Amino acid sequence: MTQTDILSSEQEDLRLLRESARTLFERAGGSERARKLRDAGGGFDAELVRELAEAGVFGVAVPEDQGGLGMGLAAGGVIAEEVGRVIAPEPVVLTIGLSLGLLRRLCPDHPKMAQLIGGEISLAVAWQERVPGGAPADVTCRYAEGRLTGSKAWVVGVTGSQGFLVVAEQDDGPVLVLAEADADGLVIDKRTQADGSSLGELSFSGTPAAELASGGAVSAALAEAVADATALAAAELVGLSERAFEITLNYIKTREQFDKPIGSFQVIQHRAVDLNVMCEVAQAGVREVLAHMDSETDPKVRNPIASRAKARAVTAAKKITRDAIQLHGAVGYADEFDIGLYLNRALVLSAWLGDDAYHRRIWFDAREAEGAAQ
Amino acid sequence: MTDWNAMSDADFRKEVRQFFEAEYPEELRHLPHRPKFAEIEHWHRKLHAKGWVAPAWPAEFGGMGLNAAKLLIFYEEQQRWGVNRGRDMGVQMVGPLIIKFGTQEQKDYWLPRILSCEDIWCQGYSEPGAGSDLANLRTRAEIDGVDFVINGQKIWTTMAHDATHIFMLVRTDPDAPKKQQGISFLLAPMDQPGVDVRTITTLSGDTEFCEVFFDDARTPRENLVGELNKGWTMAKALLSFERIFIGSPSLAQNALGQLESFARGRGAFDDPVFRDHFAQAALDVEDHAALYARFADQLKRGETLGADVSMLKIWVTECFQRITELMIEAAGPDGGAIGPLQVGNVSVDVLASFYKARPTTIYGGSNEIQRNILSKAVLGLPG
Ligand SMILES: Cc1cc2nc3c(=O)[nH]c(=O)nc-3n(C[C@H](O)[C@H](O)[C@H](O)COP(=O)(O)OP(=O)(O)OC[C@H]3O[C@@H](n4cnc5c(N)ncnc54)[C@H](O)[C@@H]3O)c2cc1C
Repeated sequence: MTQTDILSSEQEDLRLLRESARTLFERAGGSERARKLRDAGGGFDAELVRELAEAGVFGVAVPEDQGGLGMGLAAGGVIAEEVGRVIAPEPVVLTIGLSLGLLRRLCPDHPKMAQLIGGEISLAVAWQERVPGGAPADVTCRYAEGRLTGSKAWVVGVTGSQGFLVVAEQDDGPVLVLAEADADGLVIDKRTQADGSSLGELSFSGTPAAELASGGAVSAALAEAVADATALAAAELVGLSERAFEITLNYIKTREQFDKPIGSFQVIQHRAVDLNVMCEVAQAGVREVLAHMDSETDPKVRNPIASRAKARAVTAAKKITRDAIQLHGAVGYADEFDIGLYLNRALVLSAWLGDDAYHRRIWFDAREAEGAAQ
Repeated sequence: MTDWNAMSDADFRKEVRQFFEAEYPEELRHLPHRPKFAEIEHWHRKLHAKGWVAPAWPAEFGGMGLNAAKLLIFYEEQQRWGVNRGRDMGVQMVGPLIIKFGTQEQKDYWLPRILSCEDIWCQGYSEPGAGSDLANLRTRAEIDGVDFVINGQKIWTTMAHDATHIFMLVRTDPDAPKKQQGISFLLAPMDQPGVDVRTITTLSGDTEFCEVFFDDARTPRENLVGELNKGWTMAKALLSFERIFIGSPSLAQNALGQLESFARGRGAFDDPVFRDHFAQAALDVEDHAALYARFADQLKRGETLGADVSMLKIWVTECFQRITELMIEAAGPDGGAIGPLQVGNVSVDVLASFYKARPTTIYGGSNEIQRNILSKAVLGLPG
């Protein structure tokens, strides 16, 4: 096979993956489903999770010898885009990027791997703390003699998850442990987010937890998994933006005022074009980043390009969803029309793992550091 | 009766400020939502007892009779102290219309009831097919004996579920040659068979606006204000003051104050980029206030405002939106979280401000429509 043949067969695989993911989500109920789940209290659909698992979705970026499809982050991005299109609340990026991202790097033989890939469970990841500066280096959550003390902040996916992967400190450095959701001495404080999901604040007082890995490898794997999840969240925002734009385009073609479709006013046309260009730029940038991350192992390259992707995707999603509301008029401000669900989901995804301003800063700092090293 | 206009501006401001600071309940300051009447009834009674419900109305109708300069001071103080406007559609919109175009009987009957809030009003202009193109409205009112019979639907009617009456634009002559003709201004009671109110939930999960359906609902013929089929010109005649009200710096100023204390608490000012964004927003607000003062002076001199007043609304609403977006930026990982965020001793509901800012560029004539007005009427561009 020539190089181009390999490329195009990869492209073909991704196309097929996209089709099957789209079909699954559409059959499950499209964006209407997101509304129902939100109104029911912000969980997700366990049946759909199993179907997604059968299609190989969760193991898509896990190497084949670890029970996955070995298709890489580019394939993860395809799925994330489809998730974004229907604003599905299932923990897809969380699982592909963060939980499996950590486990496959640190303890690929752990039985939880297979359960995550099989869609039998989901595990939220508790790695940040509410410390000034927020740096992982300031971790105060402690692990000793099989028990956790301290607290963790901004944990997503707390609703419906069977347990928590917790990054803590022990005497000789960082450690990754697993605490069951119903463990003794674990208190979960939930705060509702704009899309109906919860943001969890965990506190542990002598909570039993099992050690999965320890030492410097934990910090390295965490940084890589966070970069993976960051780029995948960008892909989810790209899918979300595209669909929000399509809905809006359709609306301005049909909504009539002054006896013609509002899309016939030039000011509206130019804005629609700007939003479209913004979508395309974001899609191209984010897809390129994901493919690049698959072929690149150096974290000094991978991490800043993940930031590049998220910065772009957040900027685009914010502008597109907010303009979408404006172009819908009052209808856009009413909950019963779907476009608002996209705005709200964009708010949540933008805040998760850092917004655009944050990631532009990270990108620039990395660029400076690289320049200084040369 | 006090002649407020005879006071110096400074004395007047002091008097108003003292009253608000002493009497306005702390828990109602800077309310993030539109209150139901019951929530602010107590405050309303206080205002009413003092004769301060309708600052702009002439004293003979129970208002304060303030001239433009004093009126602006009154609103500035109200907004500075976070005093809720309350249920003021009666005072701001129907009252002035009745004062200007109503019969003596209408004035005697309706005006005191507006002041006491015995009647609570909502505004029935928009319809599903008539938003920016308001003249396209279809709700019909037909004369039947001593009554009008109303059929049709209104939408986006703010707080209709907490109102006793609706003032509306209705079509009374469907055969008029132009859309703007054949429209009348009508008052109607809402507690009758044939009026159905359905609340609409907003993006933020609040229910502050409604759909109102009319199915052979009735209102007496004497509830027509002004001449039959002349409602469009009458409603337009009252726009000028509303335009400056809607372009006032207050919403943006309050939000900027909140942003500042929130960002300080969060340490956001350590970031030079955030500092620049904040400074831009702060200067946008300050220079808007200067532009606003120019229009206010025009009013104070007794001049009427031109179409150029639209630029105030465009500038300040978009500025307000950017400020609330900066609050989300300062909130970082909490930027998607609902409810107040506590930082030090301040508590800021970041998303509530964000949601409140969204529709300001849509209602009151969308910003696109305002730009159309400016390009045609001020810049003289063809089209
Ligand atoms: C929170 C809120 C409260 C409200 N309260 C009330 C109330 O109490 N009573 C009441 O009667 N109404 C109320 N409204 C309705 C409000 O007046 C309308 O939303 C407004 O007039 C816009 O109409 P629309 O929503 O139908 O949008 P549309 O007219 O359908 O406009 C959709 C988009 O097209 C743009 N557009 C339309 N025409 C043109 C053009 N010619 N050129 C360029 N762009 C154009 C608009 O700017 C907008 O972006 C409220 C609305 C909101 C959001």
